[in-house]
Amino acid sequence: MKSIAFGQYYPADSVLHRMDPRFKLIISLLYIVCTFLCKNVLSFSVLLASALFLIIIGRVPLRIVLRSMRAVLVILLFTAVLNVFWTDGDRLLLSWKFINIYAEGIYNAVFIMIRITVLIIGTSMLVTYTTTPIALTDAIEDLLSPLKKIKVPVHEFAMMMTIALRFIPTLIEETEKIMTAQKARGADFSSGGLIKRAKALIPILVPLFVSAFNRASDLATAMECRCYHGGEGRTRMNVRHVRFADFVYLLIVIIFGAGLVYLNIFGIGYTMK
Amino acid sequence: MNEPLIKAENISYRYDGDDLNKSPVLNELSIDIKEGEFIAILGHNGSGKSTLAKLLNMILVPVTGKIYILGKDITDENITDEDILTLRKDVGMVFQNPDNQLVATVVEDDVAFGPENLGLPSEEIRERVDKVLKGVGMYEYAKHEPHRLSGGQKQRIAIAGVLAMEPKCIIFDESTAMLDPIGRRDVMNSIIELNREKGMTVIMITHYMEEAALADRIIVLDDGNAILDGTPEYVFEHEELLRSCGLNIPQCTELVHRLREKGIKLDGDCATVEACAEMILKSLGKE
Amino acid sequence: MSEIKIEGLTYYHGKGTPYEIKALDDINITVPKGAVTGIIGHTGSGKSTLVQMFNGILRPETGRVLLDGADIWEKPKKIRDVRFKVGLVMQYPEYQLFEETVYKDIAYGPKNMGLSDDEIRERVHGAARFAGLTPDMLDKSPFDLSGGQKRRVAIAGIIAMRPDVLVLDEPAAGLDPRGRESIFGNIMQYHRETGSTVIIVSHSMEDMARYCDNLIVMNEGKVCMQGDAEHIFSRAEFLEQIGLDIPQITKLMIMLKEKGINVNTGAYTVEQALNGMLGIYGK
Repeated sequence: MKSIAFGQYYPADSVLHRMDPRFKLIISLLYIVCTFLCKNVLSFSVLLASALFLIIIGRVPLRIVLRSMRAVLVILLFTAVLNVFWTDGDRLLLSWKFINIYAEGIYNAVFIMIRITVLIIGTSMLVTYTTTPIALTDAIEDLLSPLKKIKVPVHEFAMMMTIALRFIPTLIEETEKIMTAQKARGADFSSGGLIKRAKALIPILVPLFVSAFNRASDLATAMECRCYHGGEGRTRMNVRHVRFADFVYLLIVIIFGAGLVYLNIFGIGYTMK
Repeated sequence: MNEPLIKAENISYRYDGDDLNKSPVLNELSIDIKEGEFIAILGHNGSGKSTLAKLLNMILVPVTGKIYILGKDITDENITDEDILTLRKDVGMVFQNPDNQLVATVVEDDVAFGPENLGLPSEEIRERVDKVLKGVGMYEYAKHEPHRLSGGQKQRIAIAGVLAMEPKCIIFDESTAMLDPIGRRDVMNSIIELNREKGMTVIMITHYMEEAALADRIIVLDDGNAILDGTPEYVFEHEELLRSCGLNIPQCTELVHRLREKGIKLDGDCATVEACAEMILKSLGKE
Repeated sequence: MSEIKIEGLTYYHGKGTPYEIKALDDINITVPKGAVTGIIGHTGSGKSTLVQMFNGILRPETGRVLLDGADIWEKPKKIRDVRFKVGLVMQYPEYQLFEETVYKDIAYGPKNMGLSDDEIRERVHGAARFAGLTPDMLDKSPFDLSGGQKRRVAIAGIIAMRPDVLVLDEPAAGLDPRGRESIFGNIMQYHRETGSTVIIVSHSMEDMARYCDNLIVMNEGKVCMQGDAEHIFSRAEFLEQIGLDIPQITKLMIMLKEKGINVNTGAYTVEQALNGMLGIYGK
């Protein structure tokens, strides 16, 4: 349970780690857009290469990235299978009863798999692996701060996210402890039908909620004692200053997107609609 | 410094829904605490000691009675939010459960939380954070995640977080109760250093006699009132009274009392192991 | 009444991950039948992992856990029966309460054993008495009780399963002196009346010295000392080295001994020290 590796911060010193988190968020949004701009073999190959490039410059070991991909393998295969069976086209490869498989279907399946893979690698390399959760919430707060004008509680939202991130490991540990305690009283979580199993969760969920509420109330008191009074008049220890380099990175991604669109012209094999 | 840092006059407190026939959690309690003092507040569970801490920090407001902090009446109805903030800055608090008082996912961000709330400039926050983390010996953990630290380390981070606001006094509300012996020793050392070397006023709520023995002054609470108030030496003399309210005296102190009962002449302070050892050595003619 | 024997047990936390730690390293111990055994060690010494081996919460990678001579993992499907025979009270067990009433919460274990309602009622009342709960508390919500009372409910919940071996991890953690004494008093009374084997894990050397017949000291996943209190405390310096808090009186005796006074450094109660000191003062 503790080994939830998907998208956890990986400490290292790299260009991506040093990039301004606000720019990272914008760039990763643009990068997501880029994955949807690709239409043919050429542009998809370049896209895939760019994802590998991000892993290299982000200095996150390939095996860690791949391990996190394992979690989405099922989704990947599922969408691939859907595409293989449900794409109509001109070049029929195989026909059996009501199942028709077209070359276009195979192409589509591969393209979609690349798209999802790159989407996950790209966003995790640009955001989760290289940005601490706290820097991320700060960046979100900054980017959304114009919304404060129309009374959106941006600061409170960011604070909630920080606290949630802080308490996830604590609550996971707590869940394990409660599970052990109930197992010692003969609780059985692994046998029986759906209803029996759902019922077996009550002895875990009730104590977990009670403890979470107690923790919340303790934390609220502790925060008040440390002079917390909302976002107003609050300063930050780490103030980010926009650097010239960050604009350069942004420009590179825009040019990259334009390049992908340009590559779509060269129709080698199949072009996605 | 004649004016006490904290002065409470006849304060009473009763929680909502408490039985009105029972005596209140705090019953006409009066105490005063001078700047630079190291005070231990002793009492069994339910003696009202944690309620007292919450009253001093304005988390709760007494039903009757007055509390003055640095001469300011904090029980005044017309107190402003700004006054409350200044007060909370001056009276820092470290709680019992180390997990439930850390806010951020990185140690230094957590320490910065208080100063950030005070609206200090970034450079000053950075300076303070580095200084206090070094002060509690946790500087090398600045970039760590709090949940990977031990209980004692988390408590020292919590202390650093309070120190970063540069308070006038710190209240420790059973801050060692959930720690193992090593964690307890480390946290106690930090507390003692704060008081002895930096002159910080410390109010330590505890039920560990060995910890209370290290304070300058002990106030024993029972049934919402102070039944004893004085030096550890003075308080520990009242062995029977302490036992009757669910407390013990340290083993060494008990040994000295027993020896005295047997007619052995032992003069001086016997609140700590070191003091007892010295006293016994002296009586045997060894230095 | 049962005996637990552990043979050549080794266990890793997070096996196969970058955080792999050897939690237990070749443990060989026998917990004698019908005695009170204490397990001492600082945080991370492996003592909490060890207690989860006794009732099969964790499964050893190598080595065996024998309950009355039989390997508890012989039939992994029957491991629940082992948990009923070896009752484990976790640290801060008050957090495991979940039922609407104290009665129902104590009855949870016996219910999982598949006992009849009559049998359950008898056991709940018996367990509540052992744990120092009054009958009027049984109909209350456990969440309305004080912290100390909640802990008693949790302990009663294990006692109600009538285990042959009762294991308690830090049963008095965070309680004041009166609370500590009272909870240990209840445990000892239970031990005397049922004759069951009791295992207590604690940091508090004073309590361990007072209540346990024999002690096991753990350090870095290994058993480093075993014996009665006097034997263990005679090596107080070593205990301090491995991060344990020795009784205050023992500290005093060591200080005096260092100054050339002939005292027994194995003394861990005021009475023992007093007798020794009176001799020195010639009384």
